[in-house]
Amino acid sequence: MSVPLSDVLLGVLSTTIQLSPFYLFAGMGEIVSEQSGVVNLGLEGIMLMSLMTSFVVDYTTGNPWVALLVAIGVAGLIGAFFALTAIKLRMDQIASGLAIYLFGLGLSFVIFTVVYPSGVTTNYVSLPPLIGNWKTIPYVGVVFLKQNIMAYASIVLVVVTAFFLTRTSLGLRVRAVGENPKAADNMGVNVNKVRFLAALFGALMFGVAGFYFAGNFVPGFQTDIIAGRGFIVLAMIYFANWKPYRTLFAALSFNVVYAAQSEFVSIAGFGVASYSTLFNMLPYVFLLALIPVFGRRARPPRFLLKPYRKG
Amino acid sequence: MYAGGNIEVALSSLFLNPITLSGGIQQIFVRFVLFYTMGLGVGLALKAGLWNIGAQGQLLVGMVMVFVVYTFLAFLPWPVLYIAMILGAALGGLLWIAVPTILRVKFGANEIVVTILLNVVAVNFAFYMLSGPIKSSGTALGFPHSVNLPAQFQIPSIISSLPITYAVPATIAIGIILYLVVERTSFRVEANTVGESTETARYAGIRINRVMAITMLAAGALAGLAGATYLMGYRYELDIGSFSTNYGLVAIICALVGRKHMLGIGLASFFFAYMTIGAESMALSANVPTYVVFAMEGIMMFGILLGYYLTERKYLV
Repeated sequence: MSVPLSDVLLGVLSTTIQLSPFYLFAGMGEIVSEQSGVVNLGLEGIMLMSLMTSFVVDYTTGNPWVALLVAIGVAGLIGAFFALTAIKLRMDQIASGLAIYLFGLGLSFVIFTVVYPSGVTTNYVSLPPLIGNWKTIPYVGVVFLKQNIMAYASIVLVVVTAFFLTRTSLGLRVRAVGENPKAADNMGVNVNKVRFLAALFGALMFGVAGFYFAGNFVPGFQTDIIAGRGFIVLAMIYFANWKPYRTLFAALSFNVVYAAQSEFVSIAGFGVASYSTLFNMLPYVFLLALIPVFGRRARPPRFLLKPYRKG
Repeated sequence: MYAGGNIEVALSSLFLNPITLSGGIQQIFVRFVLFYTMGLGVGLALKAGLWNIGAQGQLLVGMVMVFVVYTFLAFLPWPVLYIAMILGAALGGLLWIAVPTILRVKFGANEIVVTILLNVVAVNFAFYMLSGPIKSSGTALGFPHSVNLPAQFQIPSIISSLPITYAVPATIAIGIILYLVVERTSFRVEANTVGESTETARYAGIRINRVMAITMLAAGALAGLAGATYLMGYRYELDIGSFSTNYGLVAIICALVGRKHMLGIGLASFFFAYMTIGAESMALSANVPTYVVFAMEGIMMFGILLGYYLTERKYLV
């Protein structure tokens, strides 16, 4: 079987650009949250809940923008609860995050089955591609113009986050409360308020990521549909040393490997449940192999995971 | 109608079904062994301040190793092979956690990130092994699965009328031994100091890397061992159904709720074993997917940990 090499490369690039925004939305959210000292390990639970609501609202209203709003709202509610326990009540962040994950994992599936007992019946209305007749434009069409506006928004978000963290006063305060909350407090920064806002922003971005997943990954809702891909974001920002542009690079390179192996598997025509699973490991093994290279220089915010009590 | 159940039925399913339904008691002890063995490992690593989020991955590799040993070392005589299967599972878990351990000790890589990554890899690895090297040749249709372990490779029940296997006392014995080793020797101080602050530990002359490596590797071996007791004591074959549920996360909850105490984790494991069986039974009687159990576990975790907070008013966990 022969597939033109250019088609394969275009396919890999197109998939890469289509999948990366999910990791970028979640990654920027987690970066801002972690820069303030709060690790949200419940990100995948929050994403599952917003993903599920995206589907349900989209099926009901036929309007993806309403679905996006509701998904962000749901994510904000859960995120506020997480922030309350992890910041105000000083519960262990990892414990609270895992509890949020379990909660979202279970509840998202239960609610979906209660709403749609017989599985999916209606079609998902997705956001339109940037240019409707992208097929007529060679190369650029399938790689870029086919993507919807949210994919472009994710790139803007990376730029905005980088600007926010280094050039704005609130952004500097976010980093200060993660680096040295005592000193920030002495300078009159309300440490826990800044942390709460940062963690809440993170959760809202997980909501957007969940919405993006609904329209661009797997059609329809299933149990554990994100399957660990949310947690991978934690690895990405670790390799990126909590820097937005490097996270963009990490997300793109992870997805290039992912797209390349899945393209290869589909061309080679391995049957389901055979060598294809070995190839599925590649993107994750690739990330692992980066640790001795980049992980060495990774330096987390100094007060990551440490709750702050005034006085 | 969903959720239209009767409260009496719901409560009796939650609290009574685990002990009244046939097979309920067996299920409780199967889960108890699973949660306690893995929870001990998670708790041990936590004492040294390390988060083993990857207990599920180590469990899967342990399960695969049971059948790898059974298939490829089949020439060994019976008692040797039997022990080799159990040790092989522990070794599998140990090798799987060796990756994050080495990366942590040599490169300072965050063990949370690495163990999470390896969970995803473990699922793919187990799936591959199941669809190739350890697949049962007699598969007729449906999903791939391994051969069924013959009776002499199963962990026997203590009394024939009660399906509680020797795995239960063995697990409790491991818990007590670990309690004596960890809580009653200088190792407790060492691990706690490393867990509190590596800076202090360095001044105190504690070999930090050694403490970290020992606790991590033991955690992996215990999670792998849990795979052996689960397959050889209950399930007898490996299929993709065996790795759809994330027991590793429940083990983390048990370790936290048991407050990292080697015996406390046992109590927490029994409680969560009982509650998950009850919740699953309640979900079935109310015609709600059993996935609701995850949500309940999450809520229970919040409840219990917030309870600790309210009674002590200090850092949770």
